[in-house]
Amino acid sequence: MINSLNQSGMKPSVRPHHSRLLPILLSMMVLCVGVAEAQPGDAERGERIYAARCMLCHGEEGDGMGAAAERLNPPPRDFTMAQYKIRTTTFEEIVPADEDLQRMIHDGMPGSAMPGWGDVLSEQEIQDLIVYLKTLAGLEEEEDGNLIDYGTQVAVSAESIEKGRVIFHDGDRCSECHGQDGKGDAVKKLKDDSGYRTWPRNLTKPWTYRGSNDPRDIFARITTGIAGTQMPSFDDPASAKRLSIEQRWHVANYVNSLAKTDKVVRPENTVIRALRLVDQVPTTPDDPRWQRALPTTFFLVPQLIAEQRFFTPSNDTITVRAVYNEVEIAFHLEWDDRTQSRPGDETAEKIAGPGISEDAVAIQLPIQLPAGPEKPYFLRGDPSHPVNLWSWRGGASDRAPGVSLATARGPTNTTERDPAAAGLKGAGSYRDGTWRVVLRRPLVTTDPGQDLQFVEGEFIPVAFSAWDGSNGEQGSAHTLTTWYWLLLRPPPGNKPWLFATLAFVLVLLVELWWAHRAQTRRYT
Amino acid sequence: MSTAVQKPVIPRLLQAALVIAGIYAGFWLIFDLILAQPIPQSLMVMYMFFVVSGVFMVFTFTEESARQLIAPIRALVEDQTKKTLRNVVFIVVPALAAVAVFFQLQPSDEAPLELRSIHPAPPSSVKIFGKRYDLMSLENPYRHLEKDDPEQFQELVAVGGEVYIRNCQYCHGDKLDGKGPYAQGLNPVPLNFQDIGTIAQLQESFLFWRIATGGPGLPKEATPWISSMPIWQEFLSEEEIWQVILYLYDYTGHRPRSWEHE
Repeated sequence: MINSLNQSGMKPSVRPHHSRLLPILLSMMVLCVGVAEAQPGDAERGERIYAARCMLCHGEEGDGMGAAAERLNPPPRDFTMAQYKIRTTTFEEIVPADEDLQRMIHDGMPGSAMPGWGDVLSEQEIQDLIVYLKTLAGLEEEEDGNLIDYGTQVAVSAESIEKGRVIFHDGDRCSECHGQDGKGDAVKKLKDDSGYRTWPRNLTKPWTYRGSNDPRDIFARITTGIAGTQMPSFDDPASAKRLSIEQRWHVANYVNSLAKTDKVVRPENTVIRALRLVDQVPTTPDDPRWQRALPTTFFLVPQLIAEQRFFTPSNDTITVRAVYNEVEIAFHLEWDDRTQSRPGDETAEKIAGPGISEDAVAIQLPIQLPAGPEKPYFLRGDPSHPVNLWSWRGGASDRAPGVSLATARGPTNTTERDPAAAGLKGAGSYRDGTWRVVLRRPLVTTDPGQDLQFVEGEFIPVAFSAWDGSNGEQGSAHTLTTWYWLLLRPPPGNKPWLFATLAFVLVLLVELWWAHRAQTRRYT
Repeated sequence: MSTAVQKPVIPRLLQAALVIAGIYAGFWLIFDLILAQPIPQSLMVMYMFFVVSGVFMVFTFTEESARQLIAPIRALVEDQTKKTLRNVVFIVVPALAAVAVFFQLQPSDEAPLELRSIHPAPPSSVKIFGKRYDLMSLENPYRHLEKDDPEQFQELVAVGGEVYIRNCQYCHGDKLDGKGPYAQGLNPVPLNFQDIGTIAQLQESFLFWRIATGGPGLPKEATPWISSMPIWQEFLSEEEIWQVILYLYDYTGHRPRSWEHE
């Protein structure tokens, strides 16, 4: 290792002249900034903390082979590999800064099963753990690595973002993996060093960044690359794609701008407000009139409840809009999916995991509007409360995309029906990592015993499911939402105006009568 | 008409209004700001109705005080010198009433409230794994090892930990705090076992029932149709359920409730 007397890093560190204690003392120096009281970490104490808090996922040997390893995506880190995703030391270093390890433990890794431990472990305990983790990786004798050179940060500006956009797309430098719109829609199959399938980050979803989407964090990832994955360093002199410090700041600012999205889940938004239109409902996903309807975004979670349980989802949110007119209701479903999964299509099969199937989405509605609080079971209803499932499939090389309709009475009790009989229609389009699907149906059908009849002004339970066919999702292996609400929001009409006027006149009359009485009393 | 009454520094009417406003602000301060548990609007309307009635009862306790209270209002109507002010008030008051009615009649976008019981009363007996269990007398078969064979007990806790991490952490979290990676997408949210109000208040037999029969095994007052808790007797053995219960108490440091200590 190159010694630590560097001018390039964030914080110049001083080297005391002790041999054995050197790495520990150095790491302490770096960490002293926020944790003045912490003592040097102790590997033995760290091992005990590891056994109590970390071992179940990361394994007894620290090799990531804990009890749930094959059910987690991304899998738990293998500490024996000495590879850390968040690193602020230069790309040729092996050793991360202790600050990096401290941060990963303290804040966790967003978008993975690794929680932040800052509320459970003290700073001292985290220091102990850091020392132990380094022994697992064989780094205990190593000196600290050189920190990356941040140079002079380029402030976020329209100009910098535009420069970053050009560099991002130049020769497909970043867009090759991260996609034209930054949604990580893969054009090639990526694997990490352990052979696990990895997906490029969807840069439009800041809550899935393992580090944050602060330009300074993005700059560090671009500079060092992400160890163990195919995300390279763009500071590598051997790379034809190497970028200068200034260029990296522009890219960081551009990537940061991608994450400004309205597709963030707001937990308080549990009602889809369907907009009433006077003209026809839009029939295609790209109709500009959809922009008038209020979008509502929900979390998609994997189906963990009934056989076959599914643990490794790729889709994480779905954004829903709804409109209606006198005769028809239409839903617009939008979700990011890195792959258009068309079985039989050569390109699609190359990118997909084994056993490709069609991408699909479904809307779930109760057949009868609940009279009280009791709703159908949220996973496909139950025998006494059946649900309608309106589905749309993305198609295969030998099968056109299309809709299907089913009645479900529980997770494994589904009856297919003819969608045409209920007037269910749909259309979908896939572009740059995003599916957009329209499903529509008349408000009322001829069979109220089998189909939900939509009523204006009622709160109607609604839920959604999605399948990413390139991620092994088919049948019961899919993502879903819990019940939310759909409200066909009727225009308020004249009633509020009428009654407001009435209230005005009534109060005024009372006042006048009172004043009149007071006047007459005064003069008599 | 004019009686020689000592005028209070603050008019009585204003005093009453200030008291009412003060109580309202107090509600807001305590429930919205400090406890972060806002009172539902319908309940607030009811509370304030009683507050207003109470305040007026106090302020009109004697005839004298009642007269003082309404004096400014009477003056407004009867005093010819305040004619302009009266005309303004006579327009503003009905206008406010009209605005209130207008907004009251707008269709509501608020989702219906769903009330549910978090710890419903358990049935006295329940059928699990094809056997009938009396929940009043059911005990964790491994609990006695805590004293009798601590080493074997710790081994069982460790096995329970593996059951937990393979099956439960997705929702209840690595830290048993109810904040697993998928917790945000669920409603009701997964229980936080670290919280003193959950497993620390329950007997192990209650946990056995809740785990084995899952969401669909809940009584109706606990809204089984929205619970995401799987029916674990379909995936876990009886032994695994008792072991994972050992782990929940061991990791959180809580003690199960039992009849002995009551």
